[in-house]
Amino acid sequence: MTAASAPAAPRSAVARRGAGSAVLGSGRLLRLELRHNAMLWLLPVAFALFFYNGYREIMALPPMWNLRAMTVQNRLLLDLLIPVTGAAAWMGSREGRRGITDLVAVTARPRWSRQLVIWAATTAWAELACLACVAVVYLITARQASWGGTLWWPAVVSVAGVPTLTAIGFAAGAWFPGRFVTPLVTVVMFFGVAYGTQAASGDHSYWQISPLTTGAVGIGAAPGVASFYPYLPDLSIAQVMFTVGLTVAVLGALGIPVARMRWLAAVITVTGLATAGTAVALAGTGRLDPHGMIVIPALHDAASDQPVRYTPACSRTPIPVCVNPAYAGFLPAVTAAVGPELTEFAGLPGAPARLSQVPLVYRQVSGNGVTVGGIGTGPAAFALPDQVPGWLGTTDAEFAAQLDEGLGLHLASHVILGDGPASAGAPSQAELAVIAGSVRFPPSVESRDLGPLYGQVLPQPGSPAALAARRFAALTPAARHAWLAGHLTALQAGRVSLEQLP
Amino acid sequence: MNVEISDLTRRFGRHQAVAEVSLQAGPGVLGLLGPNGAGKTTLLRMMATVIPPTTGHLRLLGRDPGAYGPRREVRRRLGYLPQNLGYYPGFTVAEFVEYFALLKEMPAARVPAAVATAVERVDLSGKARAKLRTLSGGMLRRVGIAQAIVNEPELLLLDEPTAGLDPEQRVHFRTLLRELGQRATVVVSTHLVEDVGAACSQVALMDQGKIVFVGTPGELTARGTEHGTGDAPLERGYTAVLAAARA
Amino acid sequence: MMAVAVRLVRLHAASRRLPAALALLAACAAGLRGMLYGHWDSYGALQLPLIFEAACAAIIAVTAGSPFGEPERATGRWLPYLRLGTAVTLTALASGALAAAGTGMPLAGGFADIVRNVAGLTGIGLLCATLLGAPLAWTGPLAYMVAGAYGLYTDWHPPVLSTPWLWPARPPHDAGGALCAAVVFAAGLAAIALRGARERPSGDGPG
Repeated sequence: MTAASAPAAPRSAVARRGAGSAVLGSGRLLRLELRHNAMLWLLPVAFALFFYNGYREIMALPPMWNLRAMTVQNRLLLDLLIPVTGAAAWMGSREGRRGITDLVAVTARPRWSRQLVIWAATTAWAELACLACVAVVYLITARQASWGGTLWWPAVVSVAGVPTLTAIGFAAGAWFPGRFVTPLVTVVMFFGVAYGTQAASGDHSYWQISPLTTGAVGIGAAPGVASFYPYLPDLSIAQVMFTVGLTVAVLGALGIPVARMRWLAAVITVTGLATAGTAVALAGTGRLDPHGMIVIPALHDAASDQPVRYTPACSRTPIPVCVNPAYAGFLPAVTAAVGPELTEFAGLPGAPARLSQVPLVYRQVSGNGVTVGGIGTGPAAFALPDQVPGWLGTTDAEFAAQLDEGLGLHLASHVILGDGPASAGAPSQAELAVIAGSVRFPPSVESRDLGPLYGQVLPQPGSPAALAARRFAALTPAARHAWLAGHLTALQAGRVSLEQLP
Repeated sequence: MNVEISDLTRRFGRHQAVAEVSLQAGPGVLGLLGPNGAGKTTLLRMMATVIPPTTGHLRLLGRDPGAYGPRREVRRRLGYLPQNLGYYPGFTVAEFVEYFALLKEMPAARVPAAVATAVERVDLSGKARAKLRTLSGGMLRRVGIAQAIVNEPELLLLDEPTAGLDPEQRVHFRTLLRELGQRATVVVSTHLVEDVGAACSQVALMDQGKIVFVGTPGELTARGTEHGTGDAPLERGYTAVLAAARA
Repeated sequence: MMAVAVRLVRLHAASRRLPAALALLAACAAGLRGMLYGHWDSYGALQLPLIFEAACAAIIAVTAGSPFGEPERATGRWLPYLRLGTAVTLTALASGALAAAGTGMPLAGGFADIVRNVAGLTGIGLLCATLLGAPLAWTGPLAYMVAGAYGLYTDWHPPVLSTPWLWPARPPHDAGGALCAAVVFAAGLAAIALRGARERPSGDGPG
């Protein structure tokens, strides 16, 4: 130690401190903490978990903004939770683990302020991980999606959830700096967050406040949600309120042991808890709207009830099929599945000039049950099923089967029977045979699936009408079209027998 | 006077670690001597505002540290090196000292220069960028001293500061102590009587929570001329005072 | 001689905070039993015990750390056996406690699932303890738990993740999954017995 070369020190190094100096000092502290934060070391674990779990699931989904963005919200926080909460608990327990408590306790900076800087550094890295994961998914989806703008609310909820994870982990580590606390608080958080998604029941469940929940519990991320109508931010707003409130409450509680700041910390904690509690109460007032989204009356903007304006994507088939452009990628599959029917019925009396997709209608029933149906305004309207290829493992064959059952049969029965069997009385066996012969059900559709339709629009299996249907099906679509052009009126009048069918 | 202690007592449960201690100290170096368990570290921790006294009066730098505002002011002017120094192994020497400079709310613009000065004064300029986990025990102790002096404290409290230092470094450290003592009140708790003899202008000897001697090193030495045991004069004075206090 | 051995085992257990670890394992078992009273859907019923199994594995891995550092390593031949015995005993107790918690309850997967998952996750934790140090040994089992929970989810929502190295997603009596878990467990035991948990000069990991 070179005492002789030591510079002459001023009487006191404690000069006047201004606000600028305090900010600069906090900034320098933050920079130090950012460089030495445990979250930095756990970023590879976070990315690995997201890539292995959420990213693969999301990328396997069709490139629809609603599906992918909502699935990001379902998956991201759960994949990041272990490294984020664990790193935060680790950093919170740092002073206790290092035996440095006394040394930092005698410094002038309040403990609360010191802890907030450490928490902020941990959260900054964690948010970076979250934003990077969101950015990758969103950038890829932006290149692949056929229509629609970026859906931001699911990402906002995920980003708002990260500070909550770090705050709870950090507080647990700071209050209980033992060797078992970090893994235990991480597991408890994982269980709590995952449990929240299981516990929700119905559209007014308080549990749907969980930031992992997108839309109605019984539906979640479905193609029909937020396609024809805007994504409702009601539940997302409540979820952000909840996570922000919880974060503020936990960080405020850190300041309660500090004597001078106790009242301020208590006020902040109570405010945070009140905000979170209000959000939970708001979630309990939710109801499922017909478009598959949760409406919270106190947060709802009526302007978002208006349908989204779009130019439909249409096929070049004898009867054009027009879908919402978000579904444009499925149009070839649609026309492939029902192409023969479109050729067969084009131009016939009662056949629609074009088929237009209409939105699905969702209705909440007891528990988590939700019924899904098309609004069925007539022969020119159809609803594409939610089970599109790639969603929840739906294959192309399963999609085609649903189309045949739905759209193909719907078209055939409307043209042959008019406005429906109920209005014309019971259909004749010849009509049933023609309908059955016009729709090509793939092998995956078993006869038992069609049971409710026998006698309504399809002949009984093994009956003479079923045999006649097979003969009719053996004709080409053009031949069937030609026969129907000449005999449809007589068929509908009941003047055609089974033996007279080609 | 920078340190004014009057009838200070600290209890831990039923154990009285410090018992009605009264002491005053101005600029200079005060050595705190005593056997293990005498209460030196507890007294030092109270002066460092780590723990509050159970009873008694304590004024540091003309302020009552019992209130938040004055305590914060004291901490801005305080340097403290505990007996067991914890550290963050991933920090470099400079970062560790900078960290404490910022926690002591030094004006941010002055921090870099203050850090460089403190690191230089403990002879670790060549290791400023080395990670703490790579340093020897003695070097870590010097890092601890550096963080204690970075803010040019008016009250410097050092608990066993020379533990782990080699003889050459101990000589330099005593020189530093004398220099610091010209402007500040330095309280050094140590077992090494030669450190006290070389650097301290005043000595306080504690035993069983009480102060049994306050005076100059020369006065302590004089107490050992007839009844003390030990190899050095100061040691003999030390043992003589303790024996008298226990008699 | 036996008394000395018992005394040594007791002191070793105390140094690893085994009483606290045992209490936490019991708490995990109690927690699992409490949760089994709830209604869980298809894959949720399998994910639930996995969370508690991972918590047990993390606790066991964290106990592998030594508070003494180098002085303990520079001793006689008993230390590897003590480390091995501690890990095996805790794994067995954790498996037994969880199985007992599931007795008479609708525990999906059963005892075979518990033993396989606890052993495999503990193996991961012990390997992490050897590489990263005991305080950070929880990262491996808990990260693997997330992957395993997702694997179970894909059993109901394809595409299925069907590698035996993701044994929690395999059926309870699947030989491939059991073999992989056993290999990892054996590797973890060997690592912790021979090398012990990594010690850093300052005693802990980053931060």
